[in-house]
Amino acid sequence: MSAAIAALEHATGGLWPYLVVILFGFLPSEIWRWLSVFLVKGLDEDSQILVWVRAVATALLAGVVAKMLLSPSGALAVVPALWRWGALLGGCLAFFLFRRSIMAGVIVGEALLIGAAFYATA
Amino acid sequence: MIDDSTPPDSPAAASPWPFFWSGVRAATGLPAFMLMCALVGVGGLCRDIGYPMGAGVLSTLAIWAGPGQMVLFGSIAGGMALPAVAVAVSLSSIRFIPMCMAILPIMRRPNTPTWLMLVLSHYVAVTAWVEGMRRLPGMPLEARIPYFLGFANTVMLAAAVATGAGYYLIKQFPPALAAGLLFTSPIYFTVALVAGARQALDWLALLSGFVTMPVAAFFAPAGFDLLFVGVGGGTFAYCAQRLLNARRSA
Repeated sequence: MSAAIAALEHATGGLWPYLVVILFGFLPSEIWRWLSVFLVKGLDEDSQILVWVRAVATALLAGVVAKMLLSPSGALAVVPALWRWGALLGGCLAFFLFRRSIMAGVIVGEALLIGAAFYATA
Repeated sequence: MIDDSTPPDSPAAASPWPFFWSGVRAATGLPAFMLMCALVGVGGLCRDIGYPMGAGVLSTLAIWAGPGQMVLFGSIAGGMALPAVAVAVSLSSIRFIPMCMAILPIMRRPNTPTWLMLVLSHYVAVTAWVEGMRRLPGMPLEARIPYFLGFANTVMLAAAVATGAGYYLIKQFPPALAAGLLFTSPIYFTVALVAGARQALDWLALLSGFVTMPVAAFFAPAGFDLLFVGVGGGTFAYCAQRLLNARRSA
């Protein structure tokens, strides 16, 4: 298989990076979106399966966020864990304090984190 | 172009463009800005492996999943074989199944063709999902698809521009600001999820996702931790909510 890939890379020349993005990035991730179009056929908007699916999707997203904060990449890793979680919590509190403003939540959270990052890198 | 020629007394034939533009307006601002921050880094990753700027922009338009793009360029940079890269990208994108399955029925009308559903599914990613789940259910049925397309195309365009700009700019950022850029996705997703939580079920799912992730990171095999969190945490939230409802109605 790697020989075939090498031959393809040679044959496509400068277009190879674009082909990599399509073949090894776009297709393996897009199949799940297409699959779900067929999975929801015939399912009612209010069916119990979809209520469960919504809970799964919400928990998954919370998990994605938790993963980014538990094992941060690159520059975010310089900020100590307690500060990362503190900034997240501070942003959520600000959301409620400023009459449910998402903008306020994001700005306060970011300000806390960038402040902590300046302190950590200074 | 906004078509005003349709008589106002035939709502079924009304032009979808006003809904499209209100989606564009809703996206301009925080959602577009936050996606730009999130995708700037992908441009830098693309440059690190010696790919042209266009490949980074294409990855944003085609893959349309920040984590998947980071896995793609990150594991190529790490020297992983391409078939293994494809598996890793695919695992990171399995989350689109529950996300698409939750949001597509909200937009679907009895006469919506399959090709349009496939097009709509391509735009499903975290930002359009959290905003869509929060805003679409309160809208008239005929407004939902054009609104979603207006919203999603706007954030996608902004993200594509940011990927291209990040390709050249990311190295210039001071480290504290770079940390802030990486923090935009977590803080925005969390606050938007909190804003969109309407029932006990949403809160239960949100909290169980946060709580089960450290456990899954420790016990689940690499690449399967999010699957564990989603199915495990989501099922727990669903069962807990059913128990709550049963007790309330008893």
